Amino acid sequence: MLKTSLYQEEAPPSPLQQTWLEFSKSHAAFFGLLCMCFFVLVISFGPLITPYSPLEQNTDALLVPPAWTASGGIDYMLGTDALGRDIMSRVVYGTRVTLGISLFLVIVSMIIGILIGAFAGMMRGLQSSILNHLLDSLMAIPTLLIAIIIVAILGPGLINSMWAITLALVPQFIHYTRDAVRSELRKPYAVAAKLDGASKAHMFRSTIFPNIIEMLVVRGTQALSTAILDISALGFLNLGVQAPGTELGAMLSEGLDISYIAPWSIAAPGGAIFLMILSINLVGDGLRSALHNRFLH
Amino acid sequence: MPKVESLNITIRPLLTALISSFLLFACGETNPINTEKTGLIYCSEGNPSTFNPQLATSGTTADASSYQIYDRLLEFDPETNKIVPGLASHWQVSKDGLTYTFTLRKEVHFHSTQFFKPTREFNADDVIFSMDRWRNWDHPYHDVSGGNYPYFASLELDNLIDAIYRVDSHKIKITLSKPDSSFLANLATDFAIVLSAEYGDFLLNKGTPELIDEHPIGTGPFQFIHHQKDRYIRYKKNANYWRDIPLVDQLIFDITPLSSLRLAKLMTGECDVLSLPAHSELEIIRERENLILDEKPGLNVGFWAFNTSRAPFDNIEVRKALAMAIDKSALVEAVYFGSAVKANGIVPPSSWAHQSDLQGTSYNPILAKELLKKNGIEDGFTLDIWAMPVERTYNPNAVMMAGLMQGFLKDVGVNVNIVSFEWNSFRRRLAEGNYDSILIGWSADNGDPDNFYRPLLSCPSIDSGTNRAKWCSPQFDELINEALTYSDERTRVALYQSANAIIADQIPLVPIAHAYRYQAYRSNVNDLVINPFGGIRFGGVYKQ
Amino acid sequence: MITYILRRLNLLLLTLLILALASYWLVHAFPGDPVANLSGVSFITAEQKAYLDQYYHTDKSFLNQFIRYLELLWLGDWGKSFVSGQPLVDEIATFLPASIELGTYALILSLLFGIPLGFWAGIKHGKVSDYSILSFSLLGYSVPVFWLALLLILFFSLQLGWLPISGRISLLYDIPQETGFIVYDILASNIENKYEALVNAASHMLLPTISISIVTSTIIMKMTRHSVIEVLSSDYIRAAYAKGLTSRQVLLKHGLRNALLPIVPQVAMQFTTLLTNAMIVETIFSWPGVGNWLIQAIYQEDYPAIRAGMLAVSVLVVVFTVFIDLTHKVFDPKRMHHRRVKN
Repeated sequence: MLKTSLYQEEAPPSPLQQTWLEFSKSHAAFFGLLCMCFFVLVISFGPLITPYSPLEQNTDALLVPPAWTASGGIDYMLGTDALGRDIMSRVVYGTRVTLGISLFLVIVSMIIGILIGAFAGMMRGLQSSILNHLLDSLMAIPTLLIAIIIVAILGPGLINSMWAITLALVPQFIHYTRDAVRSELRKPYAVAAKLDGASKAHMFRSTIFPNIIEMLVVRGTQALSTAILDISALGFLNLGVQAPGTELGAMLSEGLDISYIAPWSIAAPGGAIFLMILSINLVGDGLRSALHNRFLH
Repeated sequence: MPKVESLNITIRPLLTALISSFLLFACGETNPINTEKTGLIYCSEGNPSTFNPQLATSGTTADASSYQIYDRLLEFDPETNKIVPGLASHWQVSKDGLTYTFTLRKEVHFHSTQFFKPTREFNADDVIFSMDRWRNWDHPYHDVSGGNYPYFASLELDNLIDAIYRVDSHKIKITLSKPDSSFLANLATDFAIVLSAEYGDFLLNKGTPELIDEHPIGTGPFQFIHHQKDRYIRYKKNANYWRDIPLVDQLIFDITPLSSLRLAKLMTGECDVLSLPAHSELEIIRERENLILDEKPGLNVGFWAFNTSRAPFDNIEVRKALAMAIDKSALVEAVYFGSAVKANGIVPPSSWAHQSDLQGTSYNPILAKELLKKNGIEDGFTLDIWAMPVERTYNPNAVMMAGLMQGFLKDVGVNVNIVSFEWNSFRRRLAEGNYDSILIGWSADNGDPDNFYRPLLSCPSIDSGTNRAKWCSPQFDELINEALTYSDERTRVALYQSANAIIADQIPLVPIAHAYRYQAYRSNVNDLVINPFGGIRFGGVYKQ
Repeated sequence: MITYILRRLNLLLLTLLILALASYWLVHAFPGDPVANLSGVSFITAEQKAYLDQYYHTDKSFLNQFIRYLELLWLGDWGKSFVSGQPLVDEIATFLPASIELGTYALILSLLFGIPLGFWAGIKHGKVSDYSILSFSLLGYSVPVFWLALLLILFFSLQLGWLPISGRISLLYDIPQETGFIVYDILASNIENKYEALVNAASHMLLPTISISIVTSTIIMKMTRHSVIEVLSSDYIRAAYAKGLTSRQVLLKHGLRNALLPIVPQVAMQFTTLLTNAMIVETIFSWPGVGNWLIQAIYQEDYPAIRAGMLAVSVLVVVFTVFIDLTHKVFDPKRMHHRRVKN
């Protein structure tokens, strides 16, 4: 066999490669991706890098400021809170909880939403028109408001707030999937498949789904940043994870009590939420414009 | 659903609001003038449960009513702690200590408000009405608003007073069943306020007697206007006050339960005075140039009481072992940030009856563990510690203290379950008595040491609810009763020291700390002094 | 056109009915006696129970009960709060205007910032100023409102001491409540120092308004920019340039109007986001709005209040959405499918 090709082959990059090429052109998106990788590392290896347990109290070191201030120490990089707990360890664990739960919720709502959306998209008739309008009304209401209302009904607590956010996210995915399926169905390749006599289920699986999955991933990143915001907002309002639990929003609301004497206790968890959402938005935006440019070429 | 017209009502004001707010932003520069100087805002920590301090022992209630709305027959001088004239201009005590004669002040007016216009001045009937309300079980007002008078009941004042006579319109005579050297001091406390008898009759005729405690009428420097629960209490100055007329037109209690928010409001000037600054925040207040922090050793004690009516806490050795298992010095350091002294007994150093050579239990976890074993308490025993959800002077953070004690007790093999509810339901459940132990405390209402011994540990105070240990020792009661019959301080101190020995031996409670009292305010507030006993006073305060 | 409006209104009625049904279902779903949850009377004697059963038709069939519930909703008897004992309609009439007021000011502020900046970025598409505005918008879009509010408090109130942090107006001003919109109430009141009170109210309003409007400004900025870029690359703009008009003329005569019109409904839709964010920020600034009230009700398990609050907020949002949608359709019937912007 020849190791090198004799002919000057045109090797067009695969769609995925194209997207990556477009994506990596944008520095901001690339930076966002790095940040996101960092957070993924943090949530996977968090317990290995934290010096303390997030609940361990040290009464000899209450309200220690961060290491770089005059009265701070290297023992506690980001300082300690009013009970002498290490803020860095708490932020790492909090990130695990916040990001971990959000990821889980987005994946679950994506699966449910895509299934229902696909079903609705392939279907026609009156039911789908009513569904259409109800979804439209639901889409107009911010997910956080829906989540607050659902938590109001179910009562505060982590599990309840997870239900609330899932229920708030699912309609979005139903909506996007259904719209995408509709517009794909009108395209010639779908019509061709249909004329070939493909069943609806088969058509969705092998023809339509591969063409809309990228768009859905972009929607997924948006939903992820929404989910993080929502779960931390519920935590902040003491409606989600309850106080001693390490969730970034709940930590913020705990830090509220001492924010005037120990600003670092709200700066660190808030900053973590901010960076997480920022990186996800950067990646999402980058991905979207990469896809957009790919279709343009 | 809102009716159709409501749309109109909503849109018009909104438009006006929008336009005017634009005008405002255009005008720019804010320059507060009048209103802010003539009004005083006090950030208080909670809602008073009533506006009649006779009905409650909580400091929040006393703050909102005692010195603002009412006056007492006698007062404590906040500087010297001596008893000085109040509504009684002078008084005499008979030689046997059984008869007290009070001459009342003339030309004292009750508040004239929208809901009540008094037709006469203050006189002897008002004093008799006020005392009969809690003293006389047949009094028409005795059962109004619950009919519980915890302070008077815990000190058994209703039994102490034999009779009250009206000598003339401005003179009364009170006879006691036995001599009591703390009687005058009790008349000067937050709770011994004077109500209007005329207002009482007026409300009785209207059929709404409970309003006497909700829309209060008194002779104090401020008159009550409105209380909106969880938000504010509004008072205005009593322009007919018999002492110096208050220098501010309005007094407002801004109800802010979160201590950090109170501090923030003080910093931004939304409050002029702050209640109960958190000990962790004192340093910030000291550092700020426009804030002033006053401090005074407080007459209080924070303690850990065992429910001695429950096994195994009815066993003295178990109580002793648990007391030895905790390191009090560490608690004082972490919870009070050093602004308290470690307590060995229940009477603080600022009282004349303080015993300085009293030895408290020492921290000895090894001995504690042995003692627990000996009494059949094995590893894994679980103990409930009830911790107050609110900060008090004597314990600024009971939940945190309980958390630390959890650590100490784990070392001797005892698991701790911390119990804490919202403050009102906490007190309600506390009254049901289903607790193992509790972190609570006591602030003195008058300068007399009896005010520590009797409410906290005497047998009758179990029923009135202030004896949290539910501990009863006839020998102890005898000692403190005897002490009251003497007016000589040296004799009393000797008796109290014997009482201390009983407490140290039986350990119904573990005294933890005597905290300093703090008061923080903005530097343009003048003439605000710490009242060593109980409620805050705004009478002579003014703003620059 | 008419059919569309009728269809939409029909659907609105249907949605409202579903919301009412959901809230009536809550009466039964919440713990405790349904009659207590309906009336807000927590301890019911047997005598009261009989009366209330008759009043709420709880002794009759479900359909009958529900119709009675709708009737009472319409008549304004929403029950009482467990905690305060006040009629819920009165409570909502007190708290909802405060939230709407906050949301409205924030929307105005967002428009004042978002549209000019977005326009500028659109014109300078691909230049440095476009990128800096864009990155700023990304930052603003990612910041959690509650954290932003805390940072603003730390800096402007506690560090600099410029602005107050709680409530709508200093308690020293005793403003009688008429409509619940503080600025209107001040003007309508007969207090002596109106101007002073207005300034005080404005200073209380500033921080909460800014903290919720930053996110919305960035969204509006993005929309404006996108729309401007689209319009500027369209044929009629090129035609206008070809006519020899200056860029100034082109922008003012053709660009501005055509770029702004299509985004008006989307911008209006941001009000629901603002209202949600207002509800969160209210808890930080002790703003006496419906969010603060609803969250307190959740903590205190005040079921009648949760039910009524949920109903009021969702009805407001749904009616508002349909209203915007319809007005848009009436003014711009061509664009039957307008784009939607996330959240």
